[in-house]
Amino acid sequence: MSVCLHTCRVLSVSLPNSVVLRAFLTRSELKMVSPAIALAFLPLLLTLIIRYRYYFVLLYRAVLIRWVRDCLTGLSREERAFQYILTHATPGDAQSILDTFDHWCSTVEFISNIGPKKGKILDRLLQEHCPITVLELGTHCGYSTVRIARSLPIGARIYSIEMDERNAQVAEKIIRLAGFDEDMVELIVRPSDEVIPRLREDYGVERLDLVFMDHWKRCYLPDLQLLEGSGLLGEGTIILADNVIFPGAPNFLRHVRRSGLYEVRVHRATLEYIRGIRDGMAELTFLGVK
Amino acid sequence: MPRHKLIASESDVSIEVDEGKDNEFSLYYVEVEESSKKGKEKQTTRDGRRRRDKNGEVSRRRASERRTTEGGNKRAEKKHERRQKTARKEGEKHGKRQRRKNADEEEAEEESNKEKKNIKNERTKTLKLEDEKEKDVKKKRKKRVKNEEDDGSSGKTKQKDCHAMPMKEKEKKKKRKKPETTSESECKSESESESDSDSESKDNQAVGVLGSLTPEELEKLKEAVEERKKLIATLKGKPWPMKKKLVILRESQEFVEKYEGALGKGKGRKLYAYKVMMMKKWMKFQRDIENFKTACIPWEMKIKEIESHFGSSVASYFIFLRWMYGINMILFGLTFGLVMVPEALMGKPYGSLPRKTVPREEEASAMNFAVLWDFGGYARYSVLFYGYYNNQRAIGWLKFRMPLSYFLVGVGIVAYSYMVVIRTMARNANEEGGGDDTSFNFSWKTFTSWDYLIGNPETADNKFASITTSFKEAIVEEQESRKDDNIHLTRFLRVLANFLVLCCLAGSGYLIYFVVRRSQKFALAGLENYGWWERNEVNMVMSLLGMFCPMLFDVISTLENYHPRIALQWQLGRIFALFLGNLYTFIIALMDAIQLKRVEEDIVKKNMTIWQANLYNGTVPDNSTAPPVTVHPADVPRGPCWETMVGQEFVRLIISDTMTTYITLLIGDFLRAVLVRFLNNCWCWDLEYGFPSYSEFDVSGNVLGLIFNQGMIWMGAFYAPCLPALNLLRLHVSMYLQCWAVMCCNVPQERVFKASGSNNFYMAMLLVILFLSTLPAIYTIVSIPPSFDCGPFSGKNRMFDVIQETLETDFPPWFGKVFSYASNPGLVLPFLLLLVLAIYYLQSTSKTYKRVNMELKKKLQTQNEENKKKNKLAALKAANELEQAKKAGEQRSNSASDLGVNEESSNIDEAGEHRQAGQNGHFIHSSQTQHTQNSEPSVSSNHTTTRPPPSRGHTSSGHLPGVSTC
Repeated sequence: MSVCLHTCRVLSVSLPNSVVLRAFLTRSELKMVSPAIALAFLPLLLTLIIRYRYYFVLLYRAVLIRWVRDCLTGLSREERAFQYILTHATPGDAQSILDTFDHWCSTVEFISNIGPKKGKILDRLLQEHCPITVLELGTHCGYSTVRIARSLPIGARIYSIEMDERNAQVAEKIIRLAGFDEDMVELIVRPSDEVIPRLREDYGVERLDLVFMDHWKRCYLPDLQLLEGSGLLGEGTIILADNVIFPGAPNFLRHVRRSGLYEVRVHRATLEYIRGIRDGMAELTFLGVK
Repeated sequence: MPRHKLIASESDVSIEVDEGKDNEFSLYYVEVEESSKKGKEKQTTRDGRRRRDKNGEVSRRRASERRTTEGGNKRAEKKHERRQKTARKEGEKHGKRQRRKNADEEEAEEESNKEKKNIKNERTKTLKLEDEKEKDVKKKRKKRVKNEEDDGSSGKTKQKDCHAMPMKEKEKKKKRKKPETTSESECKSESESESDSDSESKDNQAVGVLGSLTPEELEKLKEAVEERKKLIATLKGKPWPMKKKLVILRESQEFVEKYEGALGKGKGRKLYAYKVMMMKKWMKFQRDIENFKTACIPWEMKIKEIESHFGSSVASYFIFLRWMYGINMILFGLTFGLVMVPEALMGKPYGSLPRKTVPREEEASAMNFAVLWDFGGYARYSVLFYGYYNNQRAIGWLKFRMPLSYFLVGVGIVAYSYMVVIRTMARNANEEGGGDDTSFNFSWKTFTSWDYLIGNPETADNKFASITTSFKEAIVEEQESRKDDNIHLTRFLRVLANFLVLCCLAGSGYLIYFVVRRSQKFALAGLENYGWWERNEVNMVMSLLGMFCPMLFDVISTLENYHPRIALQWQLGRIFALFLGNLYTFIIALMDAIQLKRVEEDIVKKNMTIWQANLYNGTVPDNSTAPPVTVHPADVPRGPCWETMVGQEFVRLIISDTMTTYITLLIGDFLRAVLVRFLNNCWCWDLEYGFPSYSEFDVSGNVLGLIFNQGMIWMGAFYAPCLPALNLLRLHVSMYLQCWAVMCCNVPQERVFKASGSNNFYMAMLLVILFLSTLPAIYTIVSIPPSFDCGPFSGKNRMFDVIQETLETDFPPWFGKVFSYASNPGLVLPFLLLLVLAIYYLQSTSKTYKRVNMELKKKLQTQNEENKKKNKLAALKAANELEQAKKAGEQRSNSASDLGVNEESSNIDEAGEHRQAGQNGHFIHSSQTQHTQNSEPSVSSNHTTTRPPPSRGHTSSGHLPGVSTC
């Protein structure tokens, strides 16, 4: 506002343009903005800091610490997590591995897993529906894969898709560590948009009972559309999408609400391992093609 | 609430129309009812039991007829009353009576009359209409039957009463019935034939009814109409589901609509139809006028729209803004009409006096935009400011007393504002009931938490969510209030928050103090040496602090965890303190500036005499005959005129404040909304939900901005008559701009809450600000002598001397004398004392009234509780009795099924019972709703016991054999 008024005033004082510029320059050279005016912006600064403190914390934990540790150790974040789990968790005990994971993520570094609180929602859904075939988009470190696998009935199968090679290696180790074999969990290391159309041919999937999305938020919508096109979704298929509010997938939500193919519920929660940032999981129930 | 009004008016229409001539059109009404019921009966009585039921019905009719035909005796009157009370149920009974009547008439017709066939031909057309109607009525009847079943079962206990009597009644009946037995059998036969040829018989019946209209019947028809009317009138208070209410209302209204026009016969009918039509038109006209009136209220639709989207708290700001606009309109009228226009039209023109001319050294830049924007140059030497006005006592051919008018307008503005604010406050205070809201927390939440003005799904969602969360919170609070270990934390946090806010206030106060001191230093050194930043530092810092500190307070107030309504008040209080601090530092700085100017003025005065002496010394010796040298007014040296300076400061403050508001609006709301909206498609997180999101409308900040703006107007209006005009412009623009901004860039608050009580809070703040802003204005007027060479009071010792001058010169001498006596301290002091006493007296009486009100409220509550207890007891008793009655009834029905005659009698009993049930049911409601009539004797003392709703439903399952056919 001040700048605007200033220029406005300067403009009006002396009409020729060159004079305006010169006047502006000389003035700003002559005196900087007075300290009192700068001090008046202090409340604004404080407000912003206090209001968005959780985001600053997130920035610090998810970006700065990661960067520093990457430089110091030469390992990736996921590998560090695996090392920690290897030394602290009981092999073969899924719960212990999950707890160790939560502990590492909340105290040491930050990895955006589904987290314990939202995980409970996931657990409840699994208990309610007892899916036989589960598709997981975005394995990352295998946290959610372990979480799903431990509450699945015998004979159920998870297809877990991960794009990144290194992450997939870590995830596989963790899954094996938790005691789930290849019959239970099938890890597919390819981009999701390539895998989904070929699920039926290559992997013999007829119908998906549960789809869990936790990969790139930008890919939620195209992947959902691919799934719709592939015909793998049947009536009553649950699609669970994490982080729809933060970082957020607005286009996905908009599509889902408008298409009329789904019954939508958004579970409100906070972002995993950090208090104060609102987040949500979208639970879609496929109603079948009309 | 116009919607309410509209509905009410519609129902009014139908009612008032009814009241016209019930006698005439009630015929039609009943006729249709009858015929329809007949039809219904026919359908329902096709089973084997039909005959017996018919018999029973006929006999029942007889019984009730006998009761009614006892003429003008008390019983009939009582029934009338009851009927009026329980219109619904009575309508049913009435129908029965009519059926009975119908049967009688049929007999009569069958036996003798064939003359009425002519009439029949005439009427067949209308009857066809009625046939259509019938279908509707059938549905209606089904519902009614259900209803009656309920009622009947509720009245079951009274069967006892009836059972005590029945023997006598039966005997009576037998005696009276003897001559009619033949007709009964005829009726039976007829009912058989009816099933064969439905339509014909219907016609017959209807014609029969029409033909044999006795005055007694007319009476009954009248009753029916009255019942209908009553029903419509009392529909609101009935304990029925809304759906049913709507259906009934629509039915009755439709009925009236359809048949009211075709009433009476021949000429009278036409006249009546015409009347009704005119009445309707008149009603419609009135409604249109009402709508027009609401449409005439400025911005009403806009505000309603906002209210529907954002809840009433945001709307309350806009209503406040509109109210403010109204007040400023009056202020503007006063200053513009009585000061500015007369001066511009009749005062001396520009350039005639030194005070009305731009001085020579400023002439070059006087028309520059920057100078005009600062209200210097030509703007300063115009009617807009105090200094331009001349001290000439009367101007123009009207002899307009300019200085007096100026003074009185200045005083009048303040007086009027006081009056309006206090009046509004008093009016609002009346609306508030002094009640304790804490006693039924959950009930309040359940029944009153919805904001019915919301019309937007998103806001409704928010409201829904906020209600559920508030319930959760309330439950948690209730749980934790017993633990109360968390309370200490809350208290600590609240204290901490207040401490932080105080720190913040102190910091901002110091910053402003620092800036003001610095600006004084600049002023002493000469402002021309400094840049724009330095000159406008005070304003800048003030507006920036006023903008940012509330945000900080808002963040801090999340610590406190108050209910949003209370949080809003705290927030308002804090911002109030901040703004007040800012305003008063500004005023103090201004006072200092005034002192400086006055010192300068003294110097100028001295120089002036020297200048004049020089002028005359230089010119006089040359040419003594020539008139004194005329100097161009622009060249005359002049004083600094502190009044104009004050006015200018205020105008500048208002302008910068307005600009800040608008620019914040554009950048903070609009630009942000645009960025969020369009960047959201290509950003790595959800901007709408996440970090910047859309802004919420800041009610507290806006309200306070408005209030303080008004305070500045009140302060500065005396020295700058243009201020109300500027403010009017500002309010007008901000009304449109903010309405637009709210609708286009803001989102509803996450916790929508009702702002019902906050209006008076605004008013109280406005009053405080009014007082605080008149203080400095009055101080300057009373204690500082006006400038010697500018303004309407120049040359006087004090500004209020103008009153004395007027008294001396314009009024007869005796008036001045009286005035001087009246202003004698010996008179004034007792008067003041009296005033204080009166105020004290009034205040204490109002307190007493309040207390009495509270006590009355408490009394009502306790009475209500007592009533509840009583009802409970009565219900228990009734339940016991019911059990007994049930047993007895079962026994009796077992025995009665053998003999048809017996059942008839039991049916009769039930018919009586219905009536009492209706009465009884009504009493239950009245005792629940009208607490004032505590413990109606009829409820407790009467043997017809009250019964609660559950036991009603309990017995409704087909216990009464006769009811299902009614």
